[in-house]
This record gives sequence, C-alpha cells and structure tokens, in this order.
Amino acid sequence: MLNPHPDLTPSVLVGLGWFYLVIFLMNLLWTIRSFKVDGEYRSGMPRASVWAVYTSILMMLSFYHFTYPVEGFMFSMPLAFKDFFDAYFSNPVLYFFLTIVGLWAMIQFREWWTRPTVAWVLLNCSLIFMTLSLTDYDFRQIVGKPDNVPIVAMLFIVAFFTWIYFSRAVDNDRRIAEGRPLFEQEDNEKVLVWPDLVYTELICMVVLTAVLVFWGIALQAPLEEPASSMKTPNPSKAPWYFLGLQEMLVYFDPWLAGVVLPSIILGGLIAVPYIDFNKAGNGYYSFKERSFAITTFLFGFMPLWVALIVLGTFLRGPNWNFFGIYEYWDVHKVEAANNVNLSEFFWNGLGLGIPKGSGVGDILLRESPGIILTIVYFAALPPVLGLTVLRKYFVRMGVLRFLVFSNLILWMAILPIKMLLRWAFALKYIVGIPEFFFNI
Amino acid sequence: MTDPKPSTNDILAKIRAKNAEAAAAEKPAAAAPSIEAPAPIGASAAEVKPAAPKGTGDILAAARAAAKPAGTADILAAIKKPAAAAPAVPAAGAPKSPADIMAAIRAKAGGTPAAASAAPAAVKPAAEVKAAAAPVGMSAADMIKAARSVAEGAPVLPKVVLPEKPLPAKTPAASSKAPAVQVERRSVVGAIIAFVLSPVFIAWSSFTTAFGAFGLGVARFMMPNVLVEPPTKFKIGPPNDYAPGTVSTKWQAQFNIWVVNGEVDGAQMIYALSTVCTHLGCTPNWLEGEQKFKCPCHGSGFYKNGVNFEGPAPRPLERVGIRLAEDGMLEVDKSVKFQKELGQWSNPSCFVGMT
Repeated sequence: MLNPHPDLTPSVLVGLGWFYLVIFLMNLLWTIRSFKVDGEYRSGMPRASVWAVYTSILMMLSFYHFTYPVEGFMFSMPLAFKDFFDAYFSNPVLYFFLTIVGLWAMIQFREWWTRPTVAWVLLNCSLIFMTLSLTDYDFRQIVGKPDNVPIVAMLFIVAFFTWIYFSRAVDNDRRIAEGRPLFEQEDNEKVLVWPDLVYTELICMVVLTAVLVFWGIALQAPLEEPASSMKTPNPSKAPWYFLGLQEMLVYFDPWLAGVVLPSIILGGLIAVPYIDFNKAGNGYYSFKERSFAITTFLFGFMPLWVALIVLGTFLRGPNWNFFGIYEYWDVHKVEAANNVNLSEFFWNGLGLGIPKGSGVGDILLRESPGIILTIVYFAALPPVLGLTVLRKYFVRMGVLRFLVFSNLILWMAILPIKMLLRWAFALKYIVGIPEFFFNI
Repeated sequence: MTDPKPSTNDILAKIRAKNAEAAAAEKPAAAAPSIEAPAPIGASAAEVKPAAPKGTGDILAAARAAAKPAGTADILAAIKKPAAAAPAVPAAGAPKSPADIMAAIRAKAGGTPAAASAAPAAVKPAAEVKAAAAPVGMSAADMIKAARSVAEGAPVLPKVVLPEKPLPAKTPAASSKAPAVQVERRSVVGAIIAFVLSPVFIAWSSFTTAFGAFGLGVARFMMPNVLVEPPTKFKIGPPNDYAPGTVSTKWQAQFNIWVVNGEVDGAQMIYALSTVCTHLGCTPNWLEGEQKFKCPCHGSGFYKNGVNFEGPAPRPLERVGIRLAEDGMLEVDKSVKFQKELGQWSNPSCFVGMT
C-alpha cells in the first residue's frame, strides 16, 4: 500500500545519528584548525578546548542515536520554544519582514559575519537548530519529505556561496581602502586547463554521480496516488523551484503572476548588462564599488525568490494557509480573510456606492481609482525618481536606459507592495475587471 | 627573444610589429627573392600571408608548410588557406585542386627555389632556411619552437605585392556582346521542368506537403469521432434529494459540479456550481465546518453561493444550466455557463426555484 506520507520518526532517529556524525567530523577538523590558529586564552588554556568539548558532545550524541535509536530523542526542542515560535512567527507579514531585516543585517554586518569563526558558529547554530527541530513530529514530517530535502540543501548552498561572495568582497574592499593590490591580482589563482581543471571536473562529475546514486537509493521518490482531474491534493504544490511563482500567484491574477512577471524577470535579467554602466567590480569581488547593483540583486533573489520558496515549501499547508514550522497541518484551520478590491474601498469610503452597470464606461468608472493609480505608478514615478532619488543614475544612463531601468525596478517592487497591501488591508486587486479578465 | 616562453599573444604582437616594420621599410625585395607573385597566386597569396596572422593555427600552418609537411594535419593546415583563397583567383593555369597546391608547397619546402616555374608560389626565405635546417621528421614541439623562433627572429613575413588586378574572376555581364556560343536557349516549358526537378524545389515541396499533412492531421484530431467524456446533459434526481441549506458534493467526482440548495437574494433555489476554481483551475474543497469552498492551490475561498471572498480568485464560481425536467427530475446542462460578473445569474436557466 502506497502511503505518500509515512511516519518518518524511525528513519529520522537513525538519520540524526549520521547527521551528528557529520557535524562531529566537521567540528573535529575545525578543532584541529582552531588549535593551530586561534591561540590561547589568558589563562593559558587553548581556545580550541571549547571546540573540543562541543565536538565530543556531538560524538556522544551520534553514538547515542546509533546505539539506542528506539528510545527516542535525547534532546528535544523545548515545547515552550516551539509554542512561542508558532504563536509569534507563523504569519506571513512577520516572515517577510524578517527576511528583509535579515537581508539588511547581512549587508550591514558583513564584516562581522564573514569572519571564519563567526561564520562557523552560525553554521553550527543552524545545524543544531535543524537537529533539534527534527525531534518535532510535524517539523520532520514536512522537512523530511523526500522532495523537500533538496530545498534544505539549497538553503545551505545559497548561504555558503553568499558567504564566499561577502568574505571575498569584504577582503577586497579593505584592500581598496588601504591601497593594497586586489586579492585577485596578488594571489593569482590561474591554473592550467590540463591537468588542473580537467581533473577537477572529472572528480566533480564522479562525486556528483555518486551523490545522486546514493540519494536515489536512500530517499524514495515521493510518489502519490494516480492523478485525477476531480481531486486536487491539499495542499497542492508546484515543484519546489516554482514555489516562488506559486506564492506570487496568491497575490496576483494568473496572467500577471504566471506570464507577465516571469517574462519581466527573464527580460530584466537579460537587460542587466545593457543597463549597468558601472565598470567597477569587473573580474574581482567587491561590495562597496557595486553596492546598489548587488543590493538590488540580493533583494530580488533572497527575500523575493529563495525566501518565497521556503515559505511555499515549509510554511504553506492545507488550503494554502500559513502554518508555523512546528504546527500541525490542520485541514480545518480557519484563517479569516475577506479580500476587497480597491474600487470597493474607494467608492464605499466616499459613501457613493459602487457604480453599477455593465457597460464599458461603467466598468472603467468603477475601476478608475486603480487605473489612475497604476498609470501614475508606471508613468509618473520614473521621471520623479529620476529627478530626485535616482538622479545620479538618470544622469549616467540617459533617458531610454533610465526608463527601462526604473520600470524594471518598479515591476520588482510591485510584488512586495501588493503583498503588504494584501496583508495590511486585505486588498484583493487594485484594478479588478473580471469581466475582461483584467486584474492587477 | 626576451621571454623564453612567449604566449600566443606575445607572438602575435611581435609578428604584427614585424609586419608593420616590413611594410614601412618596403625592403622585402632585398631579402626575399620571389616576391612578385605571378598571376596564378593561389598558393602564394595563401601561404605568405600579407596581413598579420590571426591565431596560433596560422603560425603553425606557416611553420609546417615551410618545414616540410610531416603529417596529414600539416597538409590540411597548409591546404586550408590556399583552398580558401583559390576561388577568389580562378585564373587559367592557377593551381586548382588542393593536390596541386600541395605539390607546389612540397616543392617549395624541399628547398627548390621559387623560380621553379612549375610551382608559382612564393615562399618566405627565412622559413625556408629553417626548413632546410630542420630535420625531416621533426616533432610537433620542435615545429612550434621553430615557428616561435621564426616569429621572433627574421622579418619572416615579407609583404607580398599582389598584382594590381587579378585575372577577371568571371566573364562580366557586359562582355556578353562576345557571342555566347554553345549556350542553348531553353524553352519556357523546359525551364519550368528543370525548376520542378531541381533538388531545392523537390525538397521544399515535400517538406511543405509533409508539414501540411501534419497540420491537417492535427486539425482532424480536434474533431474526434467518439468523445469519451461524461455527457453534458444528465439527470441528478428529484429536487427533494437536496435538503435546503446544503451543498451536495456527490456529483463532484463524476460530473465536476456541486448542487446547492440555498437562499439567494431571499429566494430559495437549487443551482449547480462548476468545480473549477476561477483563479487557476484547481478543484476547491467544500468545507462543511466553515461553510465555504476553499481551493488548495492558492487559497481562494468562495461562499456557498459561489461568490469569491478570499484569496486571489478574481470572480465567482460559474453556474451551469439546470432545469426541472418533465419527469420531475433535475436536469443539469454543463454545456452552458452562467457568470455572475456578467449578470447572467438572473437567467432562469441556471436555477430551479424552490418556493
């Protein structure tokens, strides 16, 4: 009997043994490094001793999970923490707000968190958070689902590459400030294609194949019952890499979120080389010299893509309701929502009543506030921005390039704007003309 | 010279500099014996490149051609240029085939002076010296080295002065006053037949035919003889099967409809709602506890009367046709749809009043 949602507890119990083993080995190497590099405290005790204690605890945990897996978890996530987390963090507004704050902190404190020891502590915190959270039934049922495993892996990979970028950029920014040569010039990493690169590629191919084979054997494909046009699974989720799009569809009409916005994302990415006039940062890592470009990219990538994938994967449950990470996915969870179009807000707010009638003129009159707002947003804002906030860019780019650039920025901004409007005012559509399938 | 292991760019830069010098000094005649290439210059124009070499391949090709072709690759490299240049100068007596060119090159490389009238090709003297000095079976590395030293050393690529005007490539149209004998004039029919039998015409017409047949097949596929679908008109039992205030999901799996007995604008009526979400077409679920239809894909919610109130769905669920048949049964007609936003719900074909 095929059960698409088996209880993962036994496999997670043993899997945690492997997990702790991996963390233990990583920290063993780190302890050795720390002993060589970090030096001693004032008392003469090597700093590595702290890591040694931590590492030995991990080793014992690993042994425990391998030896007595049936007796349950040794440490569990405290119930109070779980309740606190579910009570205060299980709403999309706070989630989105936190991702923005996280992005800001990532950029602001880049010099701090790219230091090796700090980064290592952060990595360990996230790993321990994972292991402790896996002791929660609801968490491991969601996170441990075979098709969600790559998303967890993706998070760590994204974090790793972001860390690489920021550490190199911080280093180079410091070099530029001090007038020293760039890292890329000083420590020239050029190697020969043969044998260095070709061998590296061969090794990568073999390792990747081995990982995929191991993965295919260890984690079963998440098959479900045969598809039926009469029955939609609840929740019904897109492939993980499209969950950002699916989250966009919650706030927009299908043709906008499914066709227009993805096309603009693609077209905008293609247009970047023609928009970007900043020659700095070409061939080397740097943040200060490209702060605007990189901040804009990270904003589009981190909160608006990766974070939405995480939101769609782990935090959206039955009926597409928002659930905390330790919360039971209750099909009957009720979330009060009564979305209202802007036209209803406007006409009812004025006390005039919504214009009735089904003629084109009536419809346009009914939706005129939204239509005017949209036109102002896309037609009037670019010149205003060009004359005020983005004046520097307008001067450098010229009219046409600046118009393309500012419109792309505005298109990117409508996603968070619409999300905030939905959350704050339960606004459904700014322009809502279902008669013509035209909703913004 | 200075750099023991020059990179390709260095070599090219040096060669270019040499070329520029050579061009400026106009002294190649002193060094090179055979500069003035005769009319059939297919081989010479190619072998002695007047312009700067473009890549390592060119240098190697030059070196190898000079050194004596040792392998197939060398021959090919040598051939490439003449073959490319030859069509431009198709003069009588010009070496036509690569084999001819090769023969010429071999004769050169063997040390025969350029004066050999059989092979009218110009050869760089410096390279020739190299070639003479080089052993016959030199390795590729040696060849490269030779090429590099040549590139650094002598002004190896003397300027070749091409004749002011090569032989006319083809008889210009203006000279048609010379009676074009031997040309038979075809009739119109003959020309048409020749066109129809030409490979281009056959290929394109068969392609068009095949593609057109495929299009017709697709069009035919859209009109199947038999539709394996549930009927669009069907009976769903008498009205009192549906208690007032309830939503019946018993036809959801079979016919994709919900049958609702509810009160709309003060009037009790039975109506049938389509189970297709108006947002993106998923099938919502009827939640009895919350008295709403809720879509699992993006969270759209609909009241019992089908009106959208939460989530992204832009318009209410669609009603389908329903009527009380003559035998007292309710008959649903799914082939017609009634949309509230278009004001079609007042149409009596989409509800059955229960007074």
